[in-house]
Amino acid sequence: MSTKVLLHVGTPKTGTSYLQDVLFRNRERLLAAGICYPASRHDSHFLAALDLMQLPWGGLQTEAIGAWDELARQVREHDGIAIVSHEILATASRAQIGRAMESLGRDAGTEVHLVLSVRDLVRQIPAEWQENVKHRAQLRYGAFLDQITDPERSTRIGAWFWGVQEIPDILDRWGQELPPDQVHVVTVPPPGGAPELLWKRFSQAFGLDGVDLDLDGERQNPSLGVPETTLLRRINRRANAELPPADYRPLVRELLAHQTLSRRTRSPRLALPPELHPWVQQLSADWIAELERREYDIIGDLADLVGAPPVSEYADPDRPRERQVAAAGVDAITALLLDNARLRHEEERLHAELTDVRGALDRAQLRPSYRLRHGLVVRLERSAVGRGLLGVYRRARGRSSRVA
Amino acid sequence: MTTSLATGRARAWAWIAHLRSGGTTAWASWESVGAVDAVGHGRYLPGAQQLELLRRLNLAGHPSSALVERVIAASAPGRGRPDLELVGVDAERRFGPPAVDPATLPDEELLRVVSGLLAAVLVERRERAVESAGSQHVRVTRRFRTRYQLAGDPWLTAAYTRELVADGRPPGGAGRAVHVLGADVATLLAHTWAAGAFGAGGPSWPDFLARVRARRRLPRRVDLPGVVERFLARPHTGRVGVVLDLAALPKLVGVRRLVPVPDPAAHAVELARQVGVALSLHVLPEEQSALLTGALWPRLTRVAGVLPAVPPEHRDWVEDTAFGLRQRLLHGGYPVVGDPDVVLPRFAERETASVLDLAIELLLEEEAP
Repeated sequence: MSTKVLLHVGTPKTGTSYLQDVLFRNRERLLAAGICYPASRHDSHFLAALDLMQLPWGGLQTEAIGAWDELARQVREHDGIAIVSHEILATASRAQIGRAMESLGRDAGTEVHLVLSVRDLVRQIPAEWQENVKHRAQLRYGAFLDQITDPERSTRIGAWFWGVQEIPDILDRWGQELPPDQVHVVTVPPPGGAPELLWKRFSQAFGLDGVDLDLDGERQNPSLGVPETTLLRRINRRANAELPPADYRPLVRELLAHQTLSRRTRSPRLALPPELHPWVQQLSADWIAELERREYDIIGDLADLVGAPPVSEYADPDRPRERQVAAAGVDAITALLLDNARLRHEEERLHAELTDVRGALDRAQLRPSYRLRHGLVVRLERSAVGRGLLGVYRRARGRSSRVA
Repeated sequence: MTTSLATGRARAWAWIAHLRSGGTTAWASWESVGAVDAVGHGRYLPGAQQLELLRRLNLAGHPSSALVERVIAASAPGRGRPDLELVGVDAERRFGPPAVDPATLPDEELLRVVSGLLAAVLVERRERAVESAGSQHVRVTRRFRTRYQLAGDPWLTAAYTRELVADGRPPGGAGRAVHVLGADVATLLAHTWAAGAFGAGGPSWPDFLARVRARRRLPRRVDLPGVVERFLARPHTGRVGVVLDLAALPKLVGVRRLVPVPDPAAHAVELARQVGVALSLHVLPEEQSALLTGALWPRLTRVAGVLPAVPPEHRDWVEDTAFGLRQRLLHGGYPVVGDPDVVLPRFAERETASVLDLAIELLLEEEAP
């Protein structure tokens, strides 16, 4: 049974992809240090979270059936420290959290520690809209902001956003039965800081200091600029009806967004509209005061949640510069053409391979011994006695000569 | 914990005890702060959605104690509003979604919970469903039978094929005749949507129509001329034709009569669709379809109602599509049994029956001791 479980439940866009990649690639080294990160594939903990929270996810849920119980079993069977990490766990209900805690061994004496990595709303709000767009959303930035600023939170977008971003509420749900010293809040440093600072904070929260880890991972969730996100939203509007999720992921999200449009780093960045800054500042101040009052273990500085001041030149993605969108569109078309060319070459190679195989087959079938055997089989197939004899022969010969 | 919070929680637990014992008083009218023993308390207060669903179940019938506990412990599958707090329990609560009066929750919120519960019941009973399907009488395949294959309208195709298979007449065989079944375009669209809902799942009826409109063509399975052309291109295929007069079908497939296929009620299909979403979290797509068709549909056949109606904003393009289809059938050069005018749509008025009421009725039946 695990003596201690470090349960990292969010929030999204706080360096979680990098953290999970480091943990996944280093699971052997971690195990040697007595730390279990139970994962057979990169997205094992994502699938487990989908299973626990009963979330459909564009067909991926079929791969998630039973994934939480399997993850929890591995955690329970490990003698030492175990880590579970996925950011969508932030939005779990109290009933789901109860089930998670029980299956991880809380009632059997396992010490559960909660880790929540957090980032200022000034960056989180535009990042969440962009993430929605990268998951097929078609709504404009203004509509997104309207939904998240609606205090009722009755829409899917609003409910999800606050479910994964409202720090005091997430900690209320997940930390309701934990002493404050078992709740660790990791703050993401402000923009422009040393890039390794966030990792140092994660390392401290997960007790990884002193473990020799390979930190040179490539997996990350790159961000897009204003014209690129606008372009993607327009593509969603036009293509969603015809492009199934299984094709959307590799073509739009990976090829277009991550591999192509994210490389356009000189375009204006998404930002929080200046008029929303006072509201966000008030909200952040309330959260900071609440977290201070609760006396959690803060790794970093709660002042990181204040966020940067308004940008001097705000680029509105709902009124983009069309030339910039067109330029992003040209890059996207080029990427698709190149990928199409690659696929054509692959198709030609496969055609050539198929032609070779057919030729070899034809040559084999022209041999007199083959033609003799073929003729015999055709004659035998014409009569019941012949078919019986063939059946006996095929059973005696084994599977390879049975009719497919 | 402040006194007001303690009082609010005591009132909530007393209401939960009332609901557990079959009570139907709404939260807004609940005043008692009666003593509830420790057994009655859970670790956390259930969500307003679960509690209101329990109250509706009590209003509609007598849920078993097992069902009561299932409802209280349930979480709604899928995305939507999280489990909500009861208004008036914690006046000082500053974070999280706003607390609600559960009686004001929209049906969709309760439907998410009840769909998850119905899916769980189907999964639990899947072995029984498989056994029951296996024990159904299916005739040995007849040696002398008409070789056929049905295509086109997916709802009719699946139902007639099931009936013929049960009668020892499986489809296929060299030289088979292919009968592409059609109907008026509004019915074809509704049948396609229903077949998806009882199959691997799909969008809601309004979203389905919007997608078909965006694609500017009929779904592949009910684009009747396209289906004919695809079958004509296949080897070992005999006569390929469109059948618009279903009365002629028995003769074409070599039987004296076929049992008419009932149209599913719109709200029954919507329920199946939502249960399908919840089922997809527990079973693979093939089993999901088998459970919906084999275990849920027999319970829904008796539900009175009509196919979903095409709303006025979609009628123009549906009419245009139907006219185009009729012209293609007239000039296609392949056999068409029945009058091509049959494909022109007949629009029915929208019928409003509650999906939630049906779901509650079904849950009470499924869980009846």
